[in-house]
Amino acid sequence: MVFSDLFFLFAFLPAFILAYLAAGYVDRKLRSPLDDHKFKARNIVTVIFSLLFYAWGEPVYVFLMLFCVFVNYLAGLAIEGSGKHRKPALVLGITINLLILCTFKYLGFFAEILNGFGLSVSAPKIALPIGISFYTFQSLSYLVDVYRGQSPAQRRFWDLLFYISMFPQLIAGPIVRYQTISANIKSRTVTTEDFAEGAYRFLLGLGKKVILANQLSEISDRFLSAGNFSTAGSWIGLLAFTFQIYFDFSGYSDMAIGMGRCLGFRFNENFDHPYTCNSITDFWRRWHISLGTFFRDYLYIPLGGNRRHQALNILIVWFLTGMWHGASWNFILCGLYFGIIVTIEKYTILKYKIPSPILHIYSLILVVLGWGIFYFDDFGKLGSLFSALFGNAQVASDFTSWAALTNNFWLWIAAITFSLPVRKLFKNAKGKWIYRSVIALLILFCSVALLIGATNNPFLYFRF
Amino acid sequence: MGKKLFILLIGLMFGGFTVLFNFFPRSTVSELEKRDLAKFPAYSPEKLADGSFAKEISLWFSDSEPYRDFFIGMSMGLKDLIRVNFSKESSLTFHAPDMTDNDYSPGADFDDTDELMEEQQTPVDEESTENRQLEEYKNKITAQENAKIANAGIIIVGSGEKTRALMAYAGDSTGGVKFAEVANKYKRLLGDSVNVYCMVIPTSTEFYCPDAAKGRTKSQRATINNIFANLSDSVTAVDVYTTLAHHAEEDIYLRTDHHWSPLGAFYAARRFAKVAKVPFADTTSYIRKVVKRYVGSMYGYSKDISIKKAPEDFVFYVPDSTVTYTTTYVNYTVDENYKVTGESQPYKGKYFFDYKDGSGAAYCTFMGGDMKITKVETSTKNGRRVLVLKDSFGNAIPGYLFFSFEEVHVVDYRYFTRNIVDYIKENKITDVLFANNIFSAYMPGTARRYLKFLKN
Repeated sequence: MVFSDLFFLFAFLPAFILAYLAAGYVDRKLRSPLDDHKFKARNIVTVIFSLLFYAWGEPVYVFLMLFCVFVNYLAGLAIEGSGKHRKPALVLGITINLLILCTFKYLGFFAEILNGFGLSVSAPKIALPIGISFYTFQSLSYLVDVYRGQSPAQRRFWDLLFYISMFPQLIAGPIVRYQTISANIKSRTVTTEDFAEGAYRFLLGLGKKVILANQLSEISDRFLSAGNFSTAGSWIGLLAFTFQIYFDFSGYSDMAIGMGRCLGFRFNENFDHPYTCNSITDFWRRWHISLGTFFRDYLYIPLGGNRRHQALNILIVWFLTGMWHGASWNFILCGLYFGIIVTIEKYTILKYKIPSPILHIYSLILVVLGWGIFYFDDFGKLGSLFSALFGNAQVASDFTSWAALTNNFWLWIAAITFSLPVRKLFKNAKGKWIYRSVIALLILFCSVALLIGATNNPFLYFRF
Repeated sequence: MGKKLFILLIGLMFGGFTVLFNFFPRSTVSELEKRDLAKFPAYSPEKLADGSFAKEISLWFSDSEPYRDFFIGMSMGLKDLIRVNFSKESSLTFHAPDMTDNDYSPGADFDDTDELMEEQQTPVDEESTENRQLEEYKNKITAQENAKIANAGIIIVGSGEKTRALMAYAGDSTGGVKFAEVANKYKRLLGDSVNVYCMVIPTSTEFYCPDAAKGRTKSQRATINNIFANLSDSVTAVDVYTTLAHHAEEDIYLRTDHHWSPLGAFYAARRFAKVAKVPFADTTSYIRKVVKRYVGSMYGYSKDISIKKAPEDFVFYVPDSTVTYTTTYVNYTVDENYKVTGESQPYKGKYFFDYKDGSGAAYCTFMGGDMKITKVETSTKNGRRVLVLKDSFGNAIPGYLFFSFEEVHVVDYRYFTRNIVDYIKENKITDVLFANNIFSAYMPGTARRYLKFLKN
């Protein structure tokens, strides 16, 4: 199920809200005064709905997720003790999580590589469980946070299941660290401000996805999926994809953060206007922040960080960042592409004072080209795209290029505008809830109209 | 206070949509998209286990919303808001008469002068009546028009009230051989006593595609030439391409629908009558009827509001009282996959169905659609009986043949469960006309279905 599905919006979500409110009544009326867990019933309701949310279309893999949570539950308890088995329990827990991830996400890819080396290995046909990359990383964060003493181990299986399976962030992030919300599992407050802010954020995300990303995808698909590129068409398609992937993914994050806020959680931000960056290093501080900080804190720093063989550490992190996105060479290439640029930047542009507009243009060009690598898992098509981008195309432009600009003129303007931090300008404006009401109602109505009859709706980050 | 008002307003709209989508009667058919909408899935443990049951529920929920067509109209309107038209308004002018019913005189739409010119300009045509090499056509009508690509690759030409939607053609010049072969096979099996004709109907893309969008579509002429080249000498080619090309400045195609117009079919029928050497009534023998504000299938296909904003008159022609005819139908019932599940007893009905102004189904005027066998007995007595094997393009032709044949039979290539040779013998058919549009003529599946008719 996806957030921008009408079934989710107007069947699943209302049912969840009603059940959650009823569970709140149970929590208030039936809780023992000695019990410090104020959200038992509400957490159980959330878990049930989360499992239903996940099982919707993936009924078998819900058991895989339950198994993972159970393993992590036991590992967490073992890690928390003070005995000598803490470290082995951590290593075992991490190994099992990574083995499961590798089996279900990368086994076929590894078999293909071995076949490429002449070894005859039959590639297993395993469907990718949705969201496995996200919940595996959340599980790792739980184990490491407990090991580091940053959070206590969760003694209630239900509550650990609640943390890992919570549907707002289950299948496309952001990667919520255990320490971020562990204190709120038993006790949290939701003020009117929280609920209004959360609902507004959710609707902004819905608008980003349905009004912007879905329309942009029609342009990018038209120019990039055909395979016969014109120079103008390849640039337009790639620019459309650049905006599409931002609004698609950040829209999803907004919806997740918004729903989390309505439930009383403050998830960390996952995007900070990445297209305003001044370097690729800066871009990755602003793009998918939860993934970047995860790799920084759980891999880069333990590897030695800046202190020893930094360049190697950077390349390892970027290789794995690329690979995290999918079992395909283009993702690895994309990761290395950005990793090499980040490494070079450390010794070049970050050391010198270069005018900001130049840095901005430089960064955007490299980001756009990076999305080209990201888009194509077929290297033949990727080569054709890059040839066309730099003028080696049968035609420089045809009528479709001009039409894609004029027929979507306001869409392009909106995409550029909302890539900039315009929202911050109005954050503390007087009477902001009045104009927010108008904006939110417009977004909801337009999104519903656009979702009816929509042909291209899945979130891009679902496959990761 | 502002926050509470915000929550109240959002809650009201959200709750309103929730009630609408869960408790109002769901749509079952989309007039706009011309299709049945998804039904609630049948449950099975296997479907539940593999996840398809849940996915089908989501599909049903988001495919059969109450007031779906209204919302899709809203959606297209919103999509139209994001465009900016930098080009000047369309200078496109069609030369067909723009008149109301009041000032209409019978036959005014028809261009007999042009037909005379056509005959004068094509002496070969006049001598042999069969033409297997199609004339070249050069678009002088919309060549310079602006164009855009809408949903499903549909080319939208021009702007304003003369906007036209075209379906890109992807067939190549070596295709359609199976279609020719099936006509050859019919002729071999039917022998000398039955004439077999092959008519391949081009679509509007061939005549109205602007130069800028030429790269999006291939030549239909090349495919038709190939089909005709593969016809045996004993099958007669009916070149309506050249005929239609001569009338391209008239409203021979619907702008908002994928079909041709009844006027285009008139010229094609006239061409067929000439080739078949049967009489053909002149233009004064028809009564003009109009369904106003017609918006056809291309609105739903293209999902482009500019098509909805450019409705047209659906003009058709009914034979006057100089010929009498009775129409007998056998209707087929089909399942959700359009597979025939049963057939009715023969019954008498009207040939021309009535549709109100604004109806998007006006093209079903002829026989009410495709899922039937039609037999028309006319007052013409010349010993000639024609069977038209067709797709929906062919529906517009038979109504012009009542003055030409004593019986006109119509069978759709998708719906016929009897043996066609037996049918032809039982009904003493003298002429068999294959009348398919280029898309279905190109697809091997069409020929396979016609071959299946021989084995039923």
